[in-house]
Amino acid sequence: MSVSGKGAARVGIGGPVGCGKTALLERMLPRFGALGVEVAVITNDLVTDEDARRLREKRLIDPARVVAVEAGACPHTVIREDPTLNMEAADALDRRFPMLDLILIESGGDNLASTFSLDLVDYWIFVIDVAGGDDIPRKRGPGVIQCDLLVINKVDLHAQVDVDLARMMAEATQVRDGRPLIGTSCRTGEGIDAVVDAIRREVLFADVLQPGAAEA
Amino acid sequence: MSDPSAEAVLGLLTSLRLGDGQFPSGAFAFSGGLETLCADGHFARGDLGAFLMGQLTGRWLPFDRAFVEAAAAAHDDADRLAELDETVDALTVGDLQRRSSQRAGRALLGVHARLGTAGAADYRTRVERDGLPGHQPIVQGAMLAASGLAISQVAACAAYGVLSSLCSAAVRLGKVSHLDAQAALVAVHPALAAALARPAPPLDEAAAFSPLTEIAMMRHDARPSRLFSN
Repeated sequence: MSVSGKGAARVGIGGPVGCGKTALLERMLPRFGALGVEVAVITNDLVTDEDARRLREKRLIDPARVVAVEAGACPHTVIREDPTLNMEAADALDRRFPMLDLILIESGGDNLASTFSLDLVDYWIFVIDVAGGDDIPRKRGPGVIQCDLLVINKVDLHAQVDVDLARMMAEATQVRDGRPLIGTSCRTGEGIDAVVDAIRREVLFADVLQPGAAEA
Repeated sequence: MSDPSAEAVLGLLTSLRLGDGQFPSGAFAFSGGLETLCADGHFARGDLGAFLMGQLTGRWLPFDRAFVEAAAAAHDDADRLAELDETVDALTVGDLQRRSSQRAGRALLGVHARLGTAGAADYRTRVERDGLPGHQPIVQGAMLAASGLAISQVAACAAYGVLSSLCSAAVRLGKVSHLDAQAALVAVHPALAAALARPAPPLDEAAAFSPLTEIAMMRHDARPSRLFSN
């Protein structure tokens, strides 16, 4: 059962500005589409509806399924301190599109402390990137530590930015006590299927509800 | 002074809980036109007290208050709430202002439905089924009363919510300090208390006039870049 009590499962995607949250969405949406998963997206931008417009313009899903929620100057606030408007936006998507399986809620960028309210999401992903520095996992931000799935994006850039990727992944695993993390490159597509599969397994229970589907 | 009754203390605690910035009311995303006023150079650091006073005397006291109190009195009468809701809709001229009030009201209604506040789930169903607007003053008044507040407490709590939300927006816009906001609230509260000690205007005389902020909210809709919803 979803945090909403009924309706689509709700998955948060947070992380610092520029880590690739919207790029991750752009990579995942066609994959969900191909798998027949009905998706809608809520974006929480710092300013205006830049991310929502970007997603609508690319037509990766029906533009009516992309909703922007203004964040009142503090994106972390509308996912953590007061998620009311996001909850209402998700409820409205459920009413408007009763066939939805999944609502992805992208938080506008904030620091490593931004976590998602348990009233808002069933599962949340925190995205960091290799180019942001290999010391980020060591800083043990609540976002990195507490998320259900940590995504380390831009793995293709590790050589250019002098990052020891294996060490960064090992340190991230260590600070997370072995909880899941996936390295991705939204540029090359590496790791995207693994993130999609994690969501399908952990939130949509694809392996239980559709035996064999998790390997599809 | 005699010791307060447990009932009075419970009423105070309920007011504090529902008026607290921690209560998930969705107010965070609204600046009530302040963002555009700032961008247009109509608001400076020393203006907060006067701005709050203007919002109270130009809008909240002569308009919102009448509907908040009427909704509080009718909190268990969904038909009457629907009627009041439609009236607020008809009397709120600015498009963004009307949409903001609906958004904030519906979000607040959703929270109370989840909390199990009496009547919340039913009215929410009606809002969805009948396409009712779900305006903020109606939801606020009905839900505060259904949570156990007396009408006078409902009015104080709702008015404080408006002031607190505007102060919070001003702080986040970087225009005033936290201490400025407290000083402005201290300056405004006696006038608010005095006004609340007098009866609310009758519903058929309810009217708002705060042209600068109303125009600012209309202009806000066209801003290419904005932090707040209004």
